[in-house]
Amino acid sequence: MEKPIVEEKRVFMTGNEVVAWGAIAAQADIMYGYPITPQNEIMHYWTRLAPKYQKKFLQTEDELSAGFATIGGVIAGKKAFSATAGPGNTLFQEPVSMAEMMRIPMVVVIQQRGGPSTATVIYSQQEVNMTTYGGNGEGMRIVYSTASHQELFDCMIKAFNNAWKYRFPTFVLGDGYQAKMREPLVMYDPQDRGIELIEPEIIIGKEGVPGRDRDPVFLRNAYSMEEELYDVLMPTIEEYDRIAPEITEYHSFSCEDADLIIVAHGIVSRAAVAAVEDLRKEGVKVGVFRPVTLRPFPEEALREVAGITPNFLVVESSNGQMARLFKEALFGMEVKMDTIFKPGVGITSEEIVQQVKNIADSGIKTTIK
Amino acid sequence: MNIVEAYVGEYASGKSENAVNRALELVEQGRRVTLVDLDLVEPFYTLRPLKKTLESKGVRVIAWETKETFGLGEAGYVLKPEMRWALRREGDIIFDVGYGIQGIKIFNLIEGLWENEDLKIYVVVNISRPMTSSVEDIITYLSSFKKVDGLINNSHLGEQTDLDIIQEGACIVGEVSRLTQIPVIASTMEKTFAALVGSESFMGFPVRYIERYMPQTFW
Repeated sequence: MEKPIVEEKRVFMTGNEVVAWGAIAAQADIMYGYPITPQNEIMHYWTRLAPKYQKKFLQTEDELSAGFATIGGVIAGKKAFSATAGPGNTLFQEPVSMAEMMRIPMVVVIQQRGGPSTATVIYSQQEVNMTTYGGNGEGMRIVYSTASHQELFDCMIKAFNNAWKYRFPTFVLGDGYQAKMREPLVMYDPQDRGIELIEPEIIIGKEGVPGRDRDPVFLRNAYSMEEELYDVLMPTIEEYDRIAPEITEYHSFSCEDADLIIVAHGIVSRAAVAAVEDLRKEGVKVGVFRPVTLRPFPEEALREVAGITPNFLVVESSNGQMARLFKEALFGMEVKMDTIFKPGVGITSEEIVQQVKNIADSGIKTTIK
Repeated sequence: MNIVEAYVGEYASGKSENAVNRALELVEQGRRVTLVDLDLVEPFYTLRPLKKTLESKGVRVIAWETKETFGLGEAGYVLKPEMRWALRREGDIIFDVGYGIQGIKIFNLIEGLWENEDLKIYVVVNISRPMTSSVEDIITYLSSFKKVDGLINNSHLGEQTDLDIIQEGACIVGEVSRLTQIPVIASTMEKTFAALVGSESFMGFPVRYIERYMPQTFW
């Protein structure tokens, strides 16, 4: 079979195509999916690549089925993934919760769209709550929020590796803008860069007789007794806390001497960086703190920059979903927070520049204690 | 003779940019030109946001306007009657056939299309697109079209475009042309490269200098 990526190469693609190529680079075997804008071209492109690279695809009857079928593929020993958005993400929460309970690795790409419900197909950052903490109970998952096509590609590789290494379902959280926009990136074969790809393994149907040759595999998402559940959940929670520092990622930009730090994730962080570049030229000391993993959230790193300045401007295309994570991370510290919340609407660097100037003029509004 | 041209190709190959620039070029020559936006599947990077600008420059544009639409992008959009009957119009007709290879299905809905003797289908190729990056890939890709009358080398990397990528594209597209006998209509590049290239031909192919309109059309 032809090697999909022979040499490192600059390419020009839409974000959805990058996701499909990232999955190929991560040696995914099969995608299960159900159409929803703005992620459709992930499926389209994957099905175009599939015959060439001996990959598989199954279109299911809805997102509930896509999620459970993905789990089925994983249990059968395949690197399986899916992609969805908006109301599809809502339906995915049930299968993802089961994966959390059973410790099944899976990768799900979310291209956020406007909500509630069907709303718009265009763009939002309104799926942060659901993607980070949307399951029932207290399941553990990993969530990457990407800001460029290069990161979409890189995070697909990381997502598969971390999901299979730690056995927590892993999300790559993009948005409609990233899905559709076009920009260059470098595609590479991770193994050529010395990145070891974690091999999937058969979970049910292993060789040997259970109980004689090996331990039986007993995947459960139902427990009878509360203590029984507690005994399963607590080690999982402790394990997640222990591995979190290995997974957590963030970027900080020009924070070293900042008087004000802009906190933004995903595509909005690019507007924040552009705003900081403009403001720095005028001598305004601002920086950007950007969580790359929304779960685990880079709490320690954020608390460190809060030691540089207590003044924050939280910017997001939702009504404060990342701000919740931000406030929780800084619990107990005294900081000031101003905001630009634009649910379902893009944010430009000009708006951020203006808001920073307004803050400088009027003093920061909200104090969190 | 009327010019009837359709620009097809991968996402981000530069179909729309080529179609827009071609329409404007013909208008500047004093010709009557209709530009038809057949990118109906997804609402991103279509001619819709450019409609007014292009009309003010004298191009007749058949495209939806955002305010006329409902649920745009949810499940594709309907063909305007004017689109279906575009070939009955007087003057030159330029089709922007969007949405990658799937878009060609919409193109098939145009009345009198395959009977039209003036129709030229030009495949816009960007070798930075993984499925059209090599001679073999492009030849395979061309077989997905019912007919191809010409190739356009529009190899680019967005804002990171340099002369190397245009040159490499010209080599690859030139080789495809040699093997398939499909002519290279042009190598396209932004006007900013004019100073570097300095002529109306580049590596033996005619140059079309283009201005980028599509970055304004994200949504």
